[in-house]
Amino acid sequence: MPSVQERAFAIIAEQLRVPAEDVKPEAHLLDDLKADSLDLVDLTIAIEEEFSDDDRELEISEDAAAGLQTVQNVIDYLAKHGIE
Amino acid sequence: MIDSSRLDERVVITGIGPVTPIGIGVDAFWSSLRDGRSGVARIGAYDPSDQKVQIAAEVADFDPEAFIAPKPAKRMARFSQMAVAAARLAVDDAGLDLETTDCSRAASVVNSGGGAVTTIAHETEVLGRRGPDRVSPFFIPVMAMNMASCQVSIELGLEGPAITSAAACASSIYAFQDAATMMRIDEADWALAGGTESNISVLGLAGLANMHALSRNNDDPTGASRPFDKDRDGFVFGEGALVCVLESLEAATARGARIYAEVLGAGRTTDAFHITQPRPDGSGAARAMNVALANAGLQPEDVDYVCAHGTGTPLNDLAETLALKSVFGEHAYQLAVSSPKSMTGHLMGAAGGISVAASALAIHHGLLPPTINLVTPDPECDLDYVPNEARPASVKVALANGFGFGGQNAVVALGAVDR
Repeated sequence: MPSVQERAFAIIAEQLRVPAEDVKPEAHLLDDLKADSLDLVDLTIAIEEEFSDDDRELEISEDAAAGLQTVQNVIDYLAKHGIE
Repeated sequence: MIDSSRLDERVVITGIGPVTPIGIGVDAFWSSLRDGRSGVARIGAYDPSDQKVQIAAEVADFDPEAFIAPKPAKRMARFSQMAVAAARLAVDDAGLDLETTDCSRAASVVNSGGGAVTTIAHETEVLGRRGPDRVSPFFIPVMAMNMASCQVSIELGLEGPAITSAAACASSIYAFQDAATMMRIDEADWALAGGTESNISVLGLAGLANMHALSRNNDDPTGASRPFDKDRDGFVFGEGALVCVLESLEAATARGARIYAEVLGAGRTTDAFHITQPRPDGSGAARAMNVALANAGLQPEDVDYVCAHGTGTPLNDLAETLALKSVFGEHAYQLAVSSPKSMTGHLMGAAGGISVAASALAIHHGLLPPTINLVTPDPECDLDYVPNEARPASVKVALANGFGFGGQNAVVALGAVDR
């Protein structure tokens, strides 16, 4: 079973169509991984879908999504919501 | 003020980009047309076992990432991906190097019949199952039909006018007239013109099947599309794109380009009659052919070949035959008529592009593509449909027909440059 971090990294690489090796904790989604505003919404939805299940519906608010600027921000967000 | 010096500009086709069920690229496309190869098969995009219609003409070997980088490819529905691929193939075929070609006044006119119906269906499902917050931010810019031409402009860097207009199955015939006009009114120096369609889905097929528009010959896919045959029972839905490079004769000659054919003129009319059926006497189609002949300065006797709309529906093929007889009189029995849809299926918004390309290639190669599956002649369809085998012929002038649901009729007249 892949870890939360592995799953999050895989989603970021898949959604942003970037090589897996570019997805590092310090990578900035816009500056380093070349996401635009549409990609960020798309990524947010993909993370919600990945980490929602029958017991838990993950809903990332627009305000919270605005704070997800780096790969580490995403990992921290998930941890803060009990996903780690 | 329009610069009137260009109003009479001679416009020629110098590049052909097919992404079709019978081949990707002009060489594969033409060899299939020449050899009478069908692109129809049992549907592979989904399991069609429970459906009335289980066959279609898919571009099974289409790999978007062979033409488009992964990230932009993700932001396109399949109809736009196919449009971009066809545009790149056309530009390559024309021998144009976009690095050194001025694209600041290049037009992109890639029309479509339905746009991304499958994307709308998918996101509607997401909405129902997961709620509005999960609808993709790419939904609108992926689904919108204008993205066919706009994605071509973005990917190739064409900065002149871009438009995708809809005229059902006549869509891409419209594109050639609109692109040539953009050049003649000095909005554009050169253009990409054609069409694209990709909606092979349960939803798309169900809609067409319930109209009783489609062949149900599930047991014989390659024999299902049989235009002008007595046993025709509907068309076969296809997907794909076909885009051509249009340049002025002067520019093409100056750079020593190979010229397939000249766009001599076009004619467009509307039946003003019925949402799906043609006028039974074919008079709307006939008027479009007459306008095209007049627009091109041609007499009916000048025409050697008509690339028919020829869908394989009982109504269309009869009405089109009547239209041809009304336009050409006795000459209708002298000229050759054939339907590439017997091989490609009906690509709706891209169908006219196929017919224009087939006509241009017939002129260029001196060979008439056949109508395959024409086994049992229909006494009411008694013209020379070039049955089953391609035939050498000198083709100086050809018409490409496209008639759409809604009654839109469009015809492009093409000719050899040195006729």
